[in-house]
Parts: sequence; C-alpha cells; structure tokens
Amino acid sequence: MEFHRAVLDNGLTIVAESNPAAASMAVGFFVRTGSRDETADVAGVSHFLEHMVFKGTARRTPFDVNRDFDRLGAEYNAFTSEENTVYYGAVLPEYQTDLLDILGDILRPALRGEDFDMEKNVILDEIARYEDQPAYRVYEKLMGRYFDAHPLGNSVLGTPESIQALKCQDMQAYFDRRYSPGNVTVVAAGKVDFGALVAKVKSMCSGWKPYEVSRQIDPAGANPCCQAIVDVKVVREHIALMSPAPSSQDEARYAAGVLATILGDDNGSRLFYALVEPAIADEANMSHLSLDGTGAFLSFLSTDPARAAQAVRITREVFAAFLEKGPSDSELQAAKNKIASSATLKGELPMGRLVNVGFDWVYRRQYIPLAEQIELLLAVGGQEVLDLARRYDISAVTVLGLGPAEAI
Amino acid sequence: MAEDFFVREFPNGLTFLGQRMDHVSSAALTVAVPTGACHDPVTGQGAAAVASEWCLRGAGRRDTRQLNDALDALGCQHIESVQSEHILFSAASLGRNLPAVLDIYADILLRPRLEDSTFESCRALVAQELEGLEDEPMQKCAFLLRERFYPYPLGRSIYGTTESLRTITADIARKHLHRGLAPHGAILAVAGHVDMPKLCDQVERLLGDWPDCPTQAVETQPAQGGVVHIPKDSAQVHIAMAHAAAPMDDPSYYAARLAETVLSGGMSGRLFTEVREKRGLVYHVSTRYHSLKSHAGMFTYAATVGPKAQTTFEVILNELRRLGDGIEPDEILKSRAQLRSALVMQGESTHARSSALCQDWYHLHRLRDLAEISDHIEKVTVADVLEYLREFPPRRMTFLAIGPTSPDVAALNAQ
Repeated sequence: MEFHRAVLDNGLTIVAESNPAAASMAVGFFVRTGSRDETADVAGVSHFLEHMVFKGTARRTPFDVNRDFDRLGAEYNAFTSEENTVYYGAVLPEYQTDLLDILGDILRPALRGEDFDMEKNVILDEIARYEDQPAYRVYEKLMGRYFDAHPLGNSVLGTPESIQALKCQDMQAYFDRRYSPGNVTVVAAGKVDFGALVAKVKSMCSGWKPYEVSRQIDPAGANPCCQAIVDVKVVREHIALMSPAPSSQDEARYAAGVLATILGDDNGSRLFYALVEPAIADEANMSHLSLDGTGAFLSFLSTDPARAAQAVRITREVFAAFLEKGPSDSELQAAKNKIASSATLKGELPMGRLVNVGFDWVYRRQYIPLAEQIELLLAVGGQEVLDLARRYDISAVTVLGLGPAEAI
Repeated sequence: MAEDFFVREFPNGLTFLGQRMDHVSSAALTVAVPTGACHDPVTGQGAAAVASEWCLRGAGRRDTRQLNDALDALGCQHIESVQSEHILFSAASLGRNLPAVLDIYADILLRPRLEDSTFESCRALVAQELEGLEDEPMQKCAFLLRERFYPYPLGRSIYGTTESLRTITADIARKHLHRGLAPHGAILAVAGHVDMPKLCDQVERLLGDWPDCPTQAVETQPAQGGVVHIPKDSAQVHIAMAHAAAPMDDPSYYAARLAETVLSGGMSGRLFTEVREKRGLVYHVSTRYHSLKSHAGMFTYAATVGPKAQTTFEVILNELRRLGDGIEPDEILKSRAQLRSALVMQGESTHARSSALCQDWYHLHRLRDLAEISDHIEKVTVADVLEYLREFPPRRMTFLAIGPTSPDVAALNAQ
C-alpha cells in the first residue's frame, strides 16, 4: 500500500491509497457539504443537488452521463448526509481515466431548468419512500429533537413543502457557495495509477474557480427527553436513543467504537443479551456517529408496542450497569477483535478503503494505514472505555419512539 | 487472475469447496444446508427460520453466551439466513482464524443443543420479524410476490404465518432439524487466505462422520399467480410483478442475464431511463433475476405515489414487452461490460466468492472460473437475447400491489 497526495493550484486536494494487488479501483469526489450547511429556506437542497449532478453538463445530456458510466461497467452512485456529499465510482483499472472524465465533468453540472423540474418529482417520491420506513423516520425525528436548533438537526431530504418551493436558481446559488475546489477532495483506492490520476484531475478541474467556503461548527447541545410519537399506521414500535459522544477529530473515537460494540453490536453485546436473546426486541444495536466537531451514540430498538416501555427501561439499566463497572476483559477483547475483523474485510475492497481513506482526510487531513488503525484500536484499554462512558454520560439519552405505543 | 479451486465430495453427501485467494488476509465460509423454507413441515411453516436462530443458542459444550464469545474472540462475523431451498450459515474472519471458526461450526451443525429453554424466544423473534414486515412494504412485496409466483411451496415466505408460527413447538422444530440438518446435499464453501488441502482434512475429521439422513423431495403444486392488491394506508403504492425466466442451469441463462441488464442494469437501463429519467415517475424501479434449482423469474419492483401508479405500471409493462422487439448492439456491449466488471469486483470479496461457489455447485454441480463466465457473456448476441425473450416472454405475469390504491392491470395478460 502506498499513500499519495497532491494539491492543485486552486486548492483541490487529491489523495490515494494504491494497492497494486487489487483487481479494481474506486474514485470518489468528497464534497464537504450537507444538510447542516443549509438554511431553512433551502432545506433538502444538498441532496436534491446530488441528484442534479447526474443530470448532465455543458457536454453531456443526462442520458449521456448514465450511458458513459455504464459503458465502463462502472459501479457508481452518490450519497448525501448531514455533512458530506460523495460521488463515487468503481471500475476495472484500465478505465480509471474514463471514469474521471465523467466524474470530473458532472461535478460542474448544467442545472437545466427542465431537468430540475423533472427531478423534483423523483425527490418527492424519495421522500414518500422514506415515509413508509418508520425506522428511518424515527432517526430523522431524533436528529431534529436531539440537535434542536443546531444545523445537524436539519433533515437531509427536506420536506415536500421545502422541495416544492425550491427554485433552480436557489440551487445554483448553493452550489456556488459550497462546491469550491478547496471544499472538494478527490480520493482514490485500489489499483490506482497516481500519475495518471493527477494528470486527469488537473485537466478536468484546474479551471474550477476557488472561493472561500466555511462551515459553522457550533457546540451541539444534547436535549435529554423521552417521548412517544404515536402513529397507529405503524405496526412495531421503533425506538431511537441518542447521547453525546466524541467527534470525528477526537482520538477517543477508537474507544467510542469499542464502547458501542460492547453495548450494542448485533451479536453478543449487552443489548443483545438483555433484549434480543429473550425476544423483548427483535433488533437492538448501538453505533458511534462521529461528526464534524461533535459526535453521538445512537441506538435503535424494534419491539412490540406493548413492551416498548420495558425495552427502554432495560436499555437504561444496561447503560447504568456499564457506568458502574465498565467492560470485562473478554468483552473488551471481543469488541476489538470484531471491529478489527470488520475493518480488514472492508479494507479488502477498493470501495471499502475509499470511504475510510476519504473520511480520514476530509475530517482530519490525515492518512492512517489500516494496519496502524488496527493497532490504535487494539491499544484501547478497559478503563479508557469506562472513563469515556462516564465523561460523556451515556445514560443522558434523548429517546424517541415511533409507533402505536402511547408511552415509552 | 486464475482461480485456484478445490473440490472434495464426501461419502455422506457433504461437498467441500475451496478457493484460495492469496491477495487477501480474510477468509469466508458459507454452509448451505438443504433444509430451507420450502422443506418446512405443513404444520410448522416458519420452522427453518426458527431453526436458524435456535442452532446458535448453544452447541456442543458451549451455551449461547459461550458460543457467541468463542466466535467473537476469533473476530468472526456471522449471519444465519433462510432461503427457499437452504439454511445458510455465513461467517468471515482473518484467514488464520478460520480453522478455529470451522471447529465451532462443526458443533453448530452436528451438535446444536436445541434446548426447550431457548426455543420460545427464537420462535418469538421470528414472529416479531414477520410482524415487522408490515413496516417494510418493499420487503413484504418481495416475499408475497415470490410466494405466489413460484410453484407452491417453493417460494413460500420463510417466516410462515402468525398462525403457523404459533403452532410450532420445540418438538416439531427439533424433529424437523434432526431430519433436515444433514450432510446430504449440504455444501461447505470457503474462499480466502487458507491452506485448502489442510482445511479439507479438517472438514473430513469434523464432518466426515456427520450421519446422513435421506431427504424427501418437495412435492409442488401449481403456482398461485394472479393479481393481488393488498390495501394499506402507505405513502407509496408498491408495485411488484414477476414472469418466468431461464434457471441457472439452462443453456440460455447468460442470455437471460443480458436481458435483465439491458432492462435494468446501471442507470442507463431501459426501465430507469423511461420510468425515472424521462418521466420522473419513481425513485426506484428495477428488474432482478432470481433462480431456484428448477424455476427462475424476473422480478420487477417500483414504488410511486398514488396518482402516478397507473402510468408507472403502463410504462414498465411496455418496456418489458418492447424488449423482445429489438435491442441495439450498443445496449448489448454496455451490458456485457457491466456484467464482466461486476464479476471482477465480486471476485475481490471472500464472502461473495464463498457464496458464489455454493451457488455454482448447487445449480450446476461444478465451479465456473472468471474466464468461463466472461467467455459466455462475451458470446451472447442480440439474436440470442431475442430468441431467449421469445422463449421466456413477459406473459402470464404474477402481479402484486401494496398501497392505498392499485393500478388497473387488465393489460397485463392481454395479448
């Protein structure tokens, strides 16, 4: 594995982890922008823009974009979160330059009015699709509740009303504020030819005009509460819990990952034994959301509505018991082994490494080889995990239930 | 990248398949035991789903917690799943830990504890998952469509029904497992960084004495088919339809995959282009190929808000039918590139490889290397795909909608 880095004159950074043994390669354009960078009047614009980026450029129609990707046999897509918009593709190594020709081109989209109007229908359908998924709805509502007025509480999709009201020029203005080359990182992983990569990115992106982009990093305030949102159309009770956790920039993120695995891995964790094994919930898991300047522990439960309050009570007891005594040696070791093994498996695929290398750079301007990350993880101690749980107080949860239950 | 395959068939009916992969450090194991949902007893539908949970509740000298601890200590990621024909046990770890993982799986397969005390929660979990489908209409659509499309009980829902789950007792499930959890027709596949001959010896030592038990062929009834609307106060109308396709061992299998890709590969496939890009009717539309041993289907799914449901249905049906009228050479070239590239990328994942080995062996009774598959894909012409579509046209379709309304589908079976 070899790490490479280059910066164009306009501030666009290119990073790559090259693995000559890989059979494919992946490239992503990581734009540091998402729903937290939106104002209320353009709610959902980051995600809508992500769709519009595939709708063509000065030299490609929307159909050309799709056809050109598919001709390469590329696996490609994009995703938008609260903090990032990522456009990516994976191809056989001989198509690296062709893939970049498309990605580099579409990142300067035409944003044509007729395409905008057509795609608006698709976005509204996507919102309706999530409306039928209570597990997603409760996550979105919890983010809003937990982060309250903080922009991290903004919905990624927006609302039907905000999308209906959005105009193409609003989107163009947002693009002109957020897609500066200094706010974009080109990331590559797998069998990468770095010289050719830089040459192609230069030819595609050198003309992008740089301008100042900033993000407001205000402290996020937790908002502990417990509420059931009654929706009788939903059959199960979907419960989400959130509490403060280390940020993406914090070295304690390794310990935070271990803590979440001990408490809430799908198999063999404390929540598993307390809730899933006795069939009080058919799903109970916990993860660490590492965000820009802040972080959160996020747990999900799915239960019979009649047992929702019991499930929440047991979850609180699990957290309280952990705060008392911390992990056993075997729990600690098992969690670390599971994380290391999962990272290794992901790391064997260029797409898996792309995301890891990309976010290491976007959040920390840092490259850490996988082997070194695993060493850092294995060095996490039990006391460190317990101290972290106490420092962030995992018992101070904001809890939301969505489903038929009147109280949780 | 030439593949390094290893095959060993044991007298008790178990087959060991291996593929050595030197460029990775992980290894993945897939065990396919032919006791999937279509083998569920008539009075115990959902038994395989309950059994797949129950097998992990203690095995050999370990109870549930000790079993989990032992797998966790090896950094083993594992998942148990039920399909129509098989229960699948999948596990992945660092290659050097896989022999120890295999030791544990021998206990799970040969010596699951199946204690009364752990049964009820396994049954309850499956009942909850079944209920949870109500909150996931897309998945529910897929389950119900498959159930009606395939000859019964080949596509039967793995979860059974609320009533059938209620009737399953520990005794019923135990009896079912004692008969079904057997080596006859079972496949154990490993892909990754492992010494295969050595691992094969270990398999022989651990599973060579696994007592065989004759399996009973599944008696099938004609598929139910038809048109169904399940009313639901949902935001979208979920539309699903299926028609027959060539099974994996059919000579026209590769033509079927090309037809699927022209229709629904990438974002330039015909469905995505016509339904989403040109008309903005949906967020999601796709056709996916699925094969059982002797039956296969093309399963099409789309979801949209009520007022657009009728047009969505009509445009989809038109695209399915229009495919047989002609295909551009460029569409075939593009589809070949997509299939070949997907193949190479799957070849990088130990998990994808171990599962592909199982599939090949089950459907074809041999293993295909990348070059062979690539060669087949390369040789399929426009004429082959059109010929295939004449043999497997989108007619006699099974249709299912979940939502507040359903489109009028009279056109579905009109000539």
